[in-house]
Amino acid sequence: MERSSVAFDQNFSGAADFPALLRRKGLLASAVIPPLPQAGTPQKTWQPTEATTILAFKFSGGVLVAGDRRATAGNTVVYDRADKVLEIDRHSIMAIAGVPATAWEMARVLEHSFQYFRRTQLQEMSVDGKVRALSKLLRDNFGFVIQGIGVVVPIFATYDSHPKPEARLYFYDAMGAQFEAADYAATGSGYPAVRGILYYENNWGRKTLHELSEKEAVSVALRALDTAAESDTATGGVDRSGKIYPVIKIVSREGITTLPESKIAAVFKETVA
Amino acid sequence: MIEEPYRWVEAIANRREYIEAQLAPGSPIAAVGYRDGILFLTVGQTRQKLFEIYDRIAMGAIGHPGDIERLRMAAIELASTEGFTRSAADVSLRRLVHYSLSPVMKSAFEQVYGAPYLARMLFAEVGESPNEDLFLRVEYDGEIATNGGTHAQARQDFAVLSGTRQSRELMEAFLKTQYAPEASFEAALNAALDAWSIGHISLQAGNENGQPERAAVFKHRQEQLATSGIEAAVLERDASTAIRYRSLSDTELRSLIHE
Repeated sequence: MERSSVAFDQNFSGAADFPALLRRKGLLASAVIPPLPQAGTPQKTWQPTEATTILAFKFSGGVLVAGDRRATAGNTVVYDRADKVLEIDRHSIMAIAGVPATAWEMARVLEHSFQYFRRTQLQEMSVDGKVRALSKLLRDNFGFVIQGIGVVVPIFATYDSHPKPEARLYFYDAMGAQFEAADYAATGSGYPAVRGILYYENNWGRKTLHELSEKEAVSVALRALDTAAESDTATGGVDRSGKIYPVIKIVSREGITTLPESKIAAVFKETVA
Repeated sequence: MIEEPYRWVEAIANRREYIEAQLAPGSPIAAVGYRDGILFLTVGQTRQKLFEIYDRIAMGAIGHPGDIERLRMAAIELASTEGFTRSAADVSLRRLVHYSLSPVMKSAFEQVYGAPYLARMLFAEVGESPNEDLFLRVEYDGEIATNGGTHAQARQDFAVLSGTRQSRELMEAFLKTQYAPEASFEAALNAALDAWSIGHISLQAGNENGQPERAAVFKHRQEQLATSGIEAAVLERDASTAIRYRSLSDTELRSLIHE
């Protein structure tokens, strides 16, 4: 808040856009898209999704979002208590797979964007606006993705009160395309296993995902993450010896609930272990 | 024309007179600290006068809507970028006002060829306890008044804003004697409404009026509330959530008003 920063901006065209404000102040670097490789030079390849597994699905009590706790660099486990399920505002969760540095910064920009919009425009940003804001951040980050250093593939879950009150769930690709999921979404390196399980449960399970109670939903999430961890070394799943459980949060009309570890542990003991 | 110092002083005095006249009809705003937060209140305005600035900071303002808007945007921008680059705890109302807003308002006021800001603002930042609440009133010329204890004044957990100095002083005198900082929300609401009424009576009466009778305040309040809405917002002291600002609807307040 140095003195010079109050050269009041007369240009109101981008007044509601927080990333634009950050860029104007030199606080947010835009990724430069490198020139296309010339013929003959070896092309750098990038993995479309990085280590981790996150999943989300709609159940009777809203949307459940779960993520394992492992952070990896190559084949090294860097951290076993990472939180990849992040609260953005009272009703929105962004769960991240990808490079943590970029992803956490993106979550921070997003969180401030929503608040900045509400404060300056004197109304809450619409769900479509929020979904689009994340899409734009991903698009702006694409230069880093091409360079192979900043891939982020998030899931966004929120509760929409207008026009019809309902939980909404979106997933993205690394370029920023957004897809609304009717039932479930998953990303990260453990994604194939999780997607298979959720598809199976939804179609041939005793109940569809929409009909599950909270306890049943937690059980499905834990089983799915445990399965993903079984074949994917970059997914932590449930650490039985270290007693580290996935982070599970629920978005509903009332807001976001973070399930206490004791509750997750109890469901795990009863239905998974 | 303004080369001579005397001319400059004269131009500034004229400008001050002009701005004071413009601000004079501005309806009062009362901000009072209570046990669980800070309440901002005004009555009967069609244009919104109370705003959220940051997690723990709110603002009330009277003046020209265009100028209020520019200052409000600047305050939000500064607080938001500070909160983003560092943390919400590093956003300080004192710095926001002292180092950023006040110098800009002062220089706009004193550059007599440019337009001054036609606005008077009241900021509050909620603290962990009532004696950490900070209130700052910023004038169009950059002058700042605080609620802090100085040699001339005891610390107080409220601040008010009005169109005229007299109106403001009557409101302050009322709150100083009639109000306890550790009060309940209901007590704070009624004290703020009374303070508003006292300020409003003074504005309507024009020059030379004293503290109105209790009955007159009550009557005025009832008359105004019969036809006008209450605009109110709180900054909650509850540390379990980051965002403390909450605007209150007229209907949720009506039942708490002592009739």
